[in-house]
Amino acid sequence: MSPASPIPRIGVYICHCGMNIAPRVDVEAVAQFARSLDHVVIARDYKFMCSNPGQEFITHDIREQRLNRVVVASCSPRMHEPTFRKACEKAGINPYYFQMANIREQVSWVTFDGQLATAKARDQVAAAVARVSFHTPLYSREVPVTKSVLVIGGGIAGMQAAITAAEAGYDVHVVEREPSIGGHMAKFDKTFPSLDCAACIMTPKMVDVGQHEKIRLHTCSEIASVEGFVGNFRIGIRHRARYVDAAACTGCGLCAEACPVVVSNRFDEGLSRRKAIYRSFPQAVPITFCIDKKDRAPCVGACPAGINVQGYVQLIGQGKYREALSLILEKLPLPGVLGRVCPHPCETVCRRAEVDQPIAICDLKRFVADQVDLESLPAPEIAERAEKVAVIGSGPAGLTVAHDLRLKGYQVTLFEAQDRLGGMLRVGIPDYRLPQGILDREIGRILRLGVEARTGVRLGPDVTLHGLKAQGFAAVFLGIGAHASLKLGIPGEENATGVVDAVRFLREVNSGGQPPVGARVAVIGGGNVAVDAARAARRLGARRVTLVYRRSAAEMPAYPEEIKGAEEEGVEFVYMAAPLRIQSQNGAACGLTCLRTQLGAADESGRRRPVPVAGSDFTIDCDTVIPAIGQRIDRSWAENEPALAWSASQLIAADARTLQTSLPFVFAGGDAVSGPATVIAAVAAGHRAAESMHRFLQELALTSAAEGPLAARPKEDQPHWLDIPPDTAPAPRQHGGVLEPGRRLSSFAEAALGLAEAQARAEASRCLNCGACCECQECVRACEVKAVNHAMTDTVEQVEVGAVVVATGFKAFDPTPLAQYGYGIFPEIYTSLEFERLNNATGPTSGKILMKDGRTPRRVAIVHCVGSRDARHRKYCSRVCCMYSMKFAHLVREKTGAEVWEFYIDIRSPGKLYEEFYNRVQEEGVHLVRGKVAEVTDIPERPEDAGRLTVVAENTLTRRTLRLPVDMVVLSVALEPAAGAEDLGKLLGLQRDRDGWFNELHVKLAPVKTATSGIFLAGCCQGPKDIPDTVAQASAAAGEAVALLAKGTVRTRAEISVIDPDLCSGCRSCLDVCPYSAIRFDEGRAVAVVNEALCQGCGSCAATCPSSSASVKHFTDRQLMEELEAILL
Amino acid sequence: MSAYEPKIIVMVCNWCTYTAADLAGTSRLAYPANVRLVRLMCTGMIDVKYILKAFLDGADGVFIGGCHPGDCHYLNGNLKARKRVAGVRKIVEQFGFEPERLRLQWIGASEGPEFQKNMAEFVEAVKTLGPSPARDAVVL
Repeated sequence: MSPASPIPRIGVYICHCGMNIAPRVDVEAVAQFARSLDHVVIARDYKFMCSNPGQEFITHDIREQRLNRVVVASCSPRMHEPTFRKACEKAGINPYYFQMANIREQVSWVTFDGQLATAKARDQVAAAVARVSFHTPLYSREVPVTKSVLVIGGGIAGMQAAITAAEAGYDVHVVEREPSIGGHMAKFDKTFPSLDCAACIMTPKMVDVGQHEKIRLHTCSEIASVEGFVGNFRIGIRHRARYVDAAACTGCGLCAEACPVVVSNRFDEGLSRRKAIYRSFPQAVPITFCIDKKDRAPCVGACPAGINVQGYVQLIGQGKYREALSLILEKLPLPGVLGRVCPHPCETVCRRAEVDQPIAICDLKRFVADQVDLESLPAPEIAERAEKVAVIGSGPAGLTVAHDLRLKGYQVTLFEAQDRLGGMLRVGIPDYRLPQGILDREIGRILRLGVEARTGVRLGPDVTLHGLKAQGFAAVFLGIGAHASLKLGIPGEENATGVVDAVRFLREVNSGGQPPVGARVAVIGGGNVAVDAARAARRLGARRVTLVYRRSAAEMPAYPEEIKGAEEEGVEFVYMAAPLRIQSQNGAACGLTCLRTQLGAADESGRRRPVPVAGSDFTIDCDTVIPAIGQRIDRSWAENEPALAWSASQLIAADARTLQTSLPFVFAGGDAVSGPATVIAAVAAGHRAAESMHRFLQELALTSAAEGPLAARPKEDQPHWLDIPPDTAPAPRQHGGVLEPGRRLSSFAEAALGLAEAQARAEASRCLNCGACCECQECVRACEVKAVNHAMTDTVEQVEVGAVVVATGFKAFDPTPLAQYGYGIFPEIYTSLEFERLNNATGPTSGKILMKDGRTPRRVAIVHCVGSRDARHRKYCSRVCCMYSMKFAHLVREKTGAEVWEFYIDIRSPGKLYEEFYNRVQEEGVHLVRGKVAEVTDIPERPEDAGRLTVVAENTLTRRTLRLPVDMVVLSVALEPAAGAEDLGKLLGLQRDRDGWFNELHVKLAPVKTATSGIFLAGCCQGPKDIPDTVAQASAAAGEAVALLAKGTVRTRAEISVIDPDLCSGCRSCLDVCPYSAIRFDEGRAVAVVNEALCQGCGSCAATCPSSSASVKHFTDRQLMEELEAILL
Repeated sequence: MSAYEPKIIVMVCNWCTYTAADLAGTSRLAYPANVRLVRLMCTGMIDVKYILKAFLDGADGVFIGGCHPGDCHYLNGNLKARKRVAGVRKIVEQFGFEPERLRLQWIGASEGPEFQKNMAEFVEAVKTLGPSPARDAVVL
């Protein structure tokens, strides 16, 4: 089939590329071969086709020989395709009537056999000739550009690029992920070779960037998305919540003074500590403070009531007891109660256990609750509402509901069947664990909020649910607990005297009564109630108390501290025994006969089921039997409430999320819904019910109530907590005093005495601050301009720019894997970046070179090439280390007079004034040893060097091994691509080299351009370089960006897809595969249509199209088929 | 009879594997001269019929090289190519070609040595398989 008209007249040009192609490829033979190909009018070979005379051949032949197609066989089209296309265009033919055959990079340079190379070159030329015959003229369009520049990275490169572009009149967005611009240079003290103070030459630039009217600074920000193409990019910038309003913050620092949380200071490379609310350094731009928040601490997440545990622990550590208690009270109206009886799931998850033992959180809560007079706390302001609410039951669930709803302004009435408020807290927990006074104190505070209490009012006989509604209570909470005991169901239980269930027994004890207790008591059960009953029986005078449990000690659900207390008080435990019958004599109990058990398979609760062993019965002599095998809800009142639904387990049925019952105005929670559970679970249910009732009363959707502002942080899959500092020293957990067991039995006085103040402060200081910021709100109170806002969330802003300058810099190599240098093991070993901070006036030592013990070093070793020029780590030279090592040597000599020994492989000092600086440092008396350090050890050669480090190295010039005692070692570590470079590269479509640096378009001729037009590189993101080169490259990148935008338009790519409407079957397959949504479906004509502005020419549609109606211009089926055929046939 | 020298079509994307091939050249990493490169903008534009055409016209092997997953210049063209190649492999087999004659590999722009290694290995593999059955067949 003949190609498109006009009949092709092809010129073929074979380049020698000097000696690069010609000697290996027989270029004359290839030209000769080309002349034999169809439509080839002329074929030439020439030394340098890309030179002016070479291009002249092409333009001349186009004119003289009336060529309409051109093939050049030379280097890679990535190199010179634009050159030759321009030459074609100059001579008057469409630039797309050109094809290039790559016979250098892909033939002569990789094929050592001349014959094979020539044969391969012939094939590649034949393919190009075959293809070019079917080329068609293509045209690109000019589209306007957005005249603004995005600079990613706010180090010296980014700042320089931003200022250059802004000065040229373009709007510039600078995106920096740290809270301040400045980058690494802001951490340096002096700069080589001039020894300029880094801050002095840098801070003016930072101020310029911060104040330039054309520059918008986005700190704490990252690139979230990139769309569009050269001239018209649409960039999503994610602003991470800073929690401080930049417009309001004056930078006064009162917040940091108030903040109780101290964490490692990353800006000082971990050499100092800072607060959770911080500013990286005093000259930061912007000056705005920033809060370091991680995921909420595990203790906070584990608390069913959601108490801000880390917050109150920190406040206790500061001695701010009132603030701590107020913080607890936000989520828990019963701090003193829970400080005594909580099973503290928070302590189970505490990460301090990874160091030694968990923080004594529960004890701290009790401490602070006992420390502060509740009445001295300011009464909360309550905005009154008219709606009346009834709360039935004054246990922890009911008290929490009453508390929460009263704070919201509702008129709350608390109904209690007993004479005194408190529910199970009052009647179920003996005084030696929870003194009545504590309960009175905390209930008293709830009542003082304005809650009305009616005691002795029973549900059923005295009030009914609908009756309450009729009285005007718009919503009712049922928190009636589970106060009825489960029966043993064994002979003798019903008719023998001396059998009393544990709930009734404890109720009588707690009411101040003296229930009759015999000399020998048997308690049946393994829960806390059983242990409470046993311990109470001992206090009431029982000489011998035996607790019978049907499983082993390991399965016993009572708290370990309770069991321990009981054991100390002489309670005997009989495990693996199940009661069979109660023996009685004359109607009075006289013994408990049990069967031995064995543990069988696990039941649905996961505990192994006890199986009685036949014939193993034995009898415990006793005159009192106290069954404590569980509680159930008293349903005697329920006959009058037929509309109230019950669960299969005979509990009140309530929605798991909203706690609403089958009666819409009735909500329920606590043991009555969950079955017997913990106090803190009841408090949690109370919170949930209160929120639902509020929503019900306000006619809002009842679905999961959004929590307050403190809960708005996004959650990653893996919790992200503050790292535990490796140097955390073990510190023992503090234990409060306990009454002597002997003294305990004489009364019901509280057994645990709690922590002393010094103990509490010490205990709080053990907290690792997992969440960084503890959200105690001290900063909010301290800030006079109300700039702190813990409710801030991340936002994404879209900006439009025409060009992008990437200036994301580097990170310092972590020398830990080079274990022979002892970094992280010996304290006096520093990385170069750490040593910069040590020298900096705003650093941890205010610029003094001091050892960690405060002494001045007498001898310092500087080790070059740590990580660099190392086949196992970074093969490349990091370029700056030799010179900064010389700078360090100078600073050590100048500041301390100490001896300095530099261990180097080669000294690299190429740069203006670098060699001179190197000479100067040598003249300052610095010792230079050519040889790589083998080891740094703390084992001295001579006894007098004990306590110092010894550097072992071979001096390769003298061939002698050196063992040098030193006080301090500085590791001149390699530069590595910045963290996140890979992800950013993917977003921007940038390729990275083997070492991870971003690839420039050409290593020599296009060092700041990239393969993606419109995106430029500046500074170390492209490879290690010093500050002068970085600044020069940044100016160049900005210059390129400005040059691109100055014209006002860019040419769109011509090689895009086209869909032939005559062939399109309307199947829409292409719409699904197009990654740019550049194809739309024209319903009228029932065909797919390409949007030329969006199409990038990837060809997904063409390869997918079943009717071959979609094709990519310049990569058509025909062109590729011809190419393949020419190679193969 | 002279030793069998296979002819192999190497279809590569412009952004990754073509660049890797150029890098192999600049680094003078030699590999067998049996390969002929065909440059495309993306492996995602490789139509099934190009692969079949190459085999039917006598290619002893077809190698497709693209960007690593996640690195595609056009977001996900390489993943589409992967699906397409998996499908065409079955067709190639039905035509009587050993499926090992078709290979897809991700070679990134900086992976010159990997390009060299892949070429050497594939040429060796195709040599082991012997000449393509299409060489003796008449294809209409």
